[in-house]
Amino acid sequence: YPLFQRGGPQLRIFRPNFFMLAVRPGVPQPEDTVQFRVSMEMTKLDIRNYLERIYNVPVAAVRTRIQYGANNKRNHRNQRVKKPDYKVAYVQLGQGQTFQFPNLFPEKEQDAETRSFDDFRDKYMEKEKQKEEGDPRRGGVPDWFGL
Amino acid sequence: MAALGARRVLRPGRRWFSETVPAAPSAPASPLYPPVVASITAKSKAAKSRRLQRFNERVHAAATVEEKLRLYGKLQRPKYMVYPQTFALNADLWYRSFTKTVLVPGMPPRTPAAKPPVATAGATSETGRAPEPRAEAPGDAEAPGAAKIPEPSAGAAPYPDIGELRSLACDALLQESFYQNKKRPFLYRDQDHTPGPFLTQLVSTLAASLSGRNPLLAASSLDLNPEVNYYWHHGKEVVVHGHRKGRVDPVRFQIDDNPHLQIRVPKQLPEVVPLESDLGDVPVIDHKPSKLPLFKKQYENKVFIGSKVADPCCYGHTQFHLLPDKLKRERFIKERLEDQIEVVYRSNGIASLFAWTAAQAMYQGFWNEADVTRPFVSQAVVTDGKYFAFFCYQLNTLALTAETIENNPRKNICWATDSKPLYDVVENGNVKGFNDEVLLRLVHFLLNRPKEL
Repeated sequence: YPLFQRGGPQLRIFRPNFFMLAVRPGVPQPEDTVQFRVSMEMTKLDIRNYLERIYNVPVAAVRTRIQYGANNKRNHRNQRVKKPDYKVAYVQLGQGQTFQFPNLFPEKEQDAETRSFDDFRDKYMEKEKQKEEGDPRRGGVPDWFGL
Repeated sequence: MAALGARRVLRPGRRWFSETVPAAPSAPASPLYPPVVASITAKSKAAKSRRLQRFNERVHAAATVEEKLRLYGKLQRPKYMVYPQTFALNADLWYRSFTKTVLVPGMPPRTPAAKPPVATAGATSETGRAPEPRAEAPGDAEAPGAAKIPEPSAGAAPYPDIGELRSLACDALLQESFYQNKKRPFLYRDQDHTPGPFLTQLVSTLAASLSGRNPLLAASSLDLNPEVNYYWHHGKEVVVHGHRKGRVDPVRFQIDDNPHLQIRVPKQLPEVVPLESDLGDVPVIDHKPSKLPLFKKQYENKVFIGSKVADPCCYGHTQFHLLPDKLKRERFIKERLEDQIEVVYRSNGIASLFAWTAAQAMYQGFWNEADVTRPFVSQAVVTDGKYFAFFCYQLNTLALTAETIENNPRKNICWATDSKPLYDVVENGNVKGFNDEVLLRLVHFLLNRPKEL
C-alpha cells in the first residue's frame, strides 16, 4: 500500500483481496469471542474495518497472533515439509452479542429402516470377526494343529 | 524324682498349680513404631498433601509477620499479572470472580456518629450532615505544598462550611488549570499535566482542613505515588507446557498497583456489615484467566501496603487513583464502547482495594489458612480529573485457594458508585457547574473514622 504522509489521502480499499475464515476454537473461548484465521498481511485495524463495513458486525476488540507452521515432517526424499504459517484473530463482539460455533455434523435421526440395517450390519461384522478368531472352545490353538 | 519334679515345676510355661494371672503388660510410655503416614518425597497425591501440610505448619509457626510473608511468597512460579487499570472488556466481572467479591451499587448507609457533644443530623441524608469542630492543630505528614488553612475556632458552627471547602476545591482547580502558566502537555501525558497535580492539591488541602474535625486524619500518613502489591492463589489448573507438564497447580495472581495518593492510618476503619453477611452473588467464570486477556510472568511475589510492617500506620483509609490517558472517556465514546467506561472505574476500584485490604490483613498475620477474624475496610476514589467514582471495600475472607474456598461461605463486598463530574467546565477563571454532591461525598470519605474517636 502507498505509505501515508501527513496531508495525504485516506487509504481506502474497495474490494479487498483478504479472506477471513471463522474456525472452531481449539480451547474454549468466552461467549463473545469469535476465532478467525486471516491473511498474514491483515492488521487489527483491517480486521475491525472488514467486519464492520462489509458484514455490519459490531467489533469491540481484536487480538491477533501468528501461528508458526511446523517444519518437522519429511517427504519421501527426506526433505523437510513445512506446514504454512497463518494468523489467528480473536474478535470480541460489541453490544453484548455472543457467538457459538455451530455443530457442522449433527447426529441425524435414524428411522426404523436405517436402524435395522445398522443392527444387521453390526451382527454380520461380529460373525465375521468370530470366524476369523476361530473356535473359542479350542482356547486359541490354531485349527491346523491336531491329529 | 523329687528333683525332676522340682525341675518340671521350675520350667517356665507350665505352672498348673500356681494360678497367678500374668500381670498385664504396662502401657508403653511411647509407641513402639513411628506413625504410618504418607511419604514426603513420592510423586503421589498423599505425598503432595503432606508437603503442603508441612509448609502450612511452617508458616503458622513463623515468629514474625516478616518471616510469614517471606515464606508465603518464597516459591516463584509463573503467575497472572492483574492490572487494576485495564482496557480489557468486562474486566470487573473477571476480577470479581478472582477475588470473590460481591458488587453492591451505591454507598453503604452511614451510621450516626455517637459523639456526645454533637447533635448529629439525619444519618442517611448526604447534605447537611456534619461532624463536630475540633480545635486541634491540623497536621499531615508529607503533604508538600499543602496550604495551611486557619483552624476553625472552637465552638464554631458544628457543620463544616461547604462554601469554604468548595472554595478550596475551586482554588486548587483554577490554580492548576488557569492561573499557572504551563506549556503544552507532552503526547499522551495529559493526566500528569493538570488532573494529577490538581488531585494531589485537592486531597492534601481538604485533608489538612478536615483533620481538625477528624483526629484520625491528624495522625494519618499521606503517601504520594505509593506502591501496593498482593500475591494470592485462586482455583486450580493443569500445567500445559514444560517439564512440569500434567501437574495440578494453583492459579497464581499478582497485583502491582500505583495509586496516585493514599492515606494510611494507625486505627482501623469500622466494619460496615457483619463478617458473615451475604449481599449478593459472586460471578463464576469457567474459562481460563488468559482469555480475558491476562498474561503470565514469573517475578517476585510481593505483599506490600505502601509502608513496611513496622510502620504504625498499618491500616488503610482512602486511596486516590488517576486513570491514565489510555483509558479516557473520549476514546471509549469514539469506539462506541460506552458501557466499558464504568467497567474501567469498577475494575480499578475492586482490584486496587482488594490488594490493599488483603495486604493489610497479611500485615496483621492473617493468610489463607488463618482467615481474618475481623473485617478490613478501606475506601477509594477513582477519577480521571473531572469524573469521580467512589468505592468502599470490606474484606471478609482471605481464603481463596482451592482447598480453603470449599467450606468458606464468606464473600468480600465492594460498594461502588457511578462516575459523576465534579464540575462542568473551567473558563476564564470561573468553575462552571460545580457539583456539591461529589465534594460532600469526598468529605464524608475523609471524615470516616472508628466509632471510638
